[in-house]
Amino acid sequence: MNKFWTRIFLIAAAILLLLFFSNDFGLINIQQTTVVTAIGIDRSEEEGKIDVSAQIAMPEGKKASSVLVQGAETVGEAIAEFNAKTGWYPTLVHCKLVLIGAEATGEDVFSSLDYFLRSEFVEDSCLVAVCEKTAAETLQADSPIGELTSTAIAKVLSSQAQKTGQVSVCNLRDFAKGYFSVSESGFLPLVSIKKEAEEASSGKDSSQSGSDSQSGGSSSQSGGGGQGSSDVFDASQTVLFYRGKRTETLDADETLAFNLADTDTDLAYGDVSVYENGNKVTYNLKIKIGKKAQKLKIEDGVPVFTFQIRAKAQITDADRSADIVEIAKTAIVPERVLRAAEEKFKAELDGIMEKTRSSGCDLFRMKQKLYRSRPKDFETYKDGLLTNARVLYDIRFDTLR
Amino acid sequence: MDKIKLRQICFLFAAMMPLTKLIVYPAMLAYHAKNDLLFSASANFLLEGTVIAAVMFLASRTRLTFYDLLQNTFGTIAAKIVYGAFALFFLFSALLPLLEQKGFVLQVFYENVPSFLSFAPFFAVCVFACVKGFKGIGRAADIALPVTAVSLAVILLLAFPEAEFSELLPVGGAGVKNIFTGSLYGLNWFTDCLYPLFFLGHFEYEKHAAKKVLLSYAAGAAAVLLFLAVFYGIFGDIALRQINALAQISKYTTSFTSLGRIDLLFIFAAALPLVFYLCVPVQMCVHCVKKVFEKCNPIIPAAIANAMLLTAGVFLKYSFFEVQILFTQKLWWVFAFFAYAAPFLCLFLRRKESGRFEGVKRDE
Repeated sequence: MNKFWTRIFLIAAAILLLLFFSNDFGLINIQQTTVVTAIGIDRSEEEGKIDVSAQIAMPEGKKASSVLVQGAETVGEAIAEFNAKTGWYPTLVHCKLVLIGAEATGEDVFSSLDYFLRSEFVEDSCLVAVCEKTAAETLQADSPIGELTSTAIAKVLSSQAQKTGQVSVCNLRDFAKGYFSVSESGFLPLVSIKKEAEEASSGKDSSQSGSDSQSGGSSSQSGGGGQGSSDVFDASQTVLFYRGKRTETLDADETLAFNLADTDTDLAYGDVSVYENGNKVTYNLKIKIGKKAQKLKIEDGVPVFTFQIRAKAQITDADRSADIVEIAKTAIVPERVLRAAEEKFKAELDGIMEKTRSSGCDLFRMKQKLYRSRPKDFETYKDGLLTNARVLYDIRFDTLR
Repeated sequence: MDKIKLRQICFLFAAMMPLTKLIVYPAMLAYHAKNDLLFSASANFLLEGTVIAAVMFLASRTRLTFYDLLQNTFGTIAAKIVYGAFALFFLFSALLPLLEQKGFVLQVFYENVPSFLSFAPFFAVCVFACVKGFKGIGRAADIALPVTAVSLAVILLLAFPEAEFSELLPVGGAGVKNIFTGSLYGLNWFTDCLYPLFFLGHFEYEKHAAKKVLLSYAAGAAAVLLFLAVFYGIFGDIALRQINALAQISKYTTSFTSLGRIDLLFIFAAALPLVFYLCVPVQMCVHCVKKVFEKCNPIIPAAIANAMLLTAGVFLKYSFFEVQILFTQKLWWVFAFFAYAAPFLCLFLRRKESGRFEGVKRDE
C-alpha cells in the first residue's frame, strides 16, 4: 500500500473514531434521555399489577422529579410508558437503588426484580431495599441534606453503614444469588421514614403531590429541599425472604447480631446491661470482631451448626456516673460485662435462628454449606435442615487493648 | 517475506489470547459446567497447549512454511486447496468473536442505545491490519503486553475482594458430562493454537523457542483460569447471565465510591488489544488468500473479507445467540478438525525438500 492510501486510511479511521467515541450514530440522542437514579416498585390497587415510580435526576439547580406509572403488568412496560408519557427515554445505567413497597413483598419479588437481571443496560450492583410504606412515598420524602432522596437513602445503605453493623446492606446481585441458590433465601434492609422537626413552613405540599397522582404517568417534585420539613431514613431493621416472599423481620439488635456473625461488619457499637449492686447498668461497647466462622457438621446423623466468634470489646460509655479511676481504665472491660455481652450475642443469634426456623429463610446459608461440603448428603438432610440442626455458639469476648 | 519475531508470538499468547476468553466464554462455561468451569477450561487449555507443542516441535525440525510443507508433500494445487479451506475457516472463525466484541462495545461503552455503525470503524482498522500482514500482528502483540498486563491486573485486583471462592465447591458437583460439554462447546474460543502453524518459516526458531512459547501460553492460560475463578466466585449461581464478564467483575468495588466506575478506564484499555486480536483470524484469512492467488494485491482480499464480516454483522444484529448456538453446539466439529486434527496431521508432512519443490522455489 503506497503512502497516499495509507494517509487516506488514517484520515478515514480518525473521522470514524471521532464518531465512534461521540456516539453520534446512537439511536437515542443524549439530549432526549433522562437519568433515573432510583426505581420504586409497589403493589397496584389493580389485582396482579404493579405501580412503578422513578426518581429522575435533573440538571443542577432544579429539583429532582418523580414519575409514577400505575397499574403496569411488568417493570419493563412501566419503563416504556415513562417514555410514552414524557417523551424522554429513561436510562437506567445510573440507577443505584431499587425500592420495594412493603405490600409488594407478599408476592415473589423476583417477578418484578428479574427485569433488572434481564437487561444488560441495568447494573445489578444497585442497592435493593424494602420500604415500610410504599416505595413511591419513600422516594418523595425530603432529604434533610438537600440531596436526591435516592442519594440520601443510598448513604444510609452505604458500605460504611454495613461496616458498623447498623444496616444489613444488600445489592441486587447478592439478593439474586441467594434467591437462585439452593437456599432460596435472602435478606433486605427495611427503610423507614422518620419525620424530623419541622422548620418554617412550605415544602411539604410539593412532596406529597406525586403519591396521589392519577393513573398513567404523573410527575412531582421532591428531594433537594432543605427548606420546610425534612425526613431522615432508618434502615436498622432487616426483612427476611424465602423463595422471594417476605417472611420475617429482624429488629435493630438482631440486625446488629446478624451483621457481626455473618456479614462484612468488623467494628460495631452495642449496648449491654448488667446488674451492679442491685441496679441495672447499661454499658455501650465498641466491639471488634477478630474471627467469625460458621461450620456445619453431621454428627451421628444430626446436623450441627456452630457459630464461632472471637471479639474484643472496649467500654465507650455507661449510663451511670463513674469515678475518675474507672474512666481512666475504660479500655478494660470487667469480666461480668464481657460474659453479659457473650450471653446477649448468643440470645440475639438464638432469636434469629428461631425466626429462620419458623420462616424457612436460610439466612446463614446452611443448605449451601451442606451442598458445598457434603454434596452426597444434601438430598438426605436438606429438607429438615433448618429445624433439625443443633445450633452451638462458641462466642468469646475479650478486652480490646 | 512476512516476518514475525518469536518474542511477539510469546506476547500474542500471553497478552492477547486471554482477552478473547473473557467476554461471553465465562458465562457459556458457567451455563454448561457450572461451578466446575475451571475443569472444562483447563481441559481446553491442555488440549490447545498440546497442539502448540506439536507445532513448535515441527518448527524445530523444519525452516519451511506450512505452505511449503504442503507443497512439498502434495504439490502446489493441493497446497492452494488446503490454504483456501483454511482461509474460509479463518473467516468463519472470526465471525462469532466479532459479534461478541461488537455486543461488548455497544453495551458497555455507551449509555444510550448505539447503532451498529458505532462499531463500523473496526473494519477500517482491520483492513489496514490485514494489509500489514504478520508484521502488524507482531506490532500489535508488542503494544498489547503492557496494556493487557496492567488493565487485567487492575480489574482482577478490584474484583478480588468480592470473590467468594467457596462458590467453586463442590468439586465435580456439575458432573463429568457437564464438564465435557463445557469443553466441547468452548472449542470456538480455542483456535489460537492454529496461528503458530501459519507462523512456521516466518520466525526464526532459536534455542528454547518451544519452551518460551509454551510458557507464554501457560501464563495466558493461568490468567484466564484466575479470571474464571474470580468471576464464578463473584456471581455463583447467576454467573450464566453475565455475558460481558470483563466489564462485570470489577464494578461492585467501584460503583459506590466517589470516583465512580474507575474500572471502566481499564476495561477500555483491555478492549484495545482485544480489537487487535480480533483482526488476527481475518489477517490469517488474507494471508491464506494471498498464497492461493499469489499476484493478488492484499487490499482486495482484505476489503472483501471485511465487507463480508460487516454484512454478516448487519444481518446477524439480533441473532447473536442463534449464531453462538450454531457455532458452539452444532459446528464444534469444524473447530475440532481445523484447529486440532489438522495441526497434528501436519506432523506427518514431508519436511525434506523434494526435487519438485526445489524447482518451484527456484522459479519463485
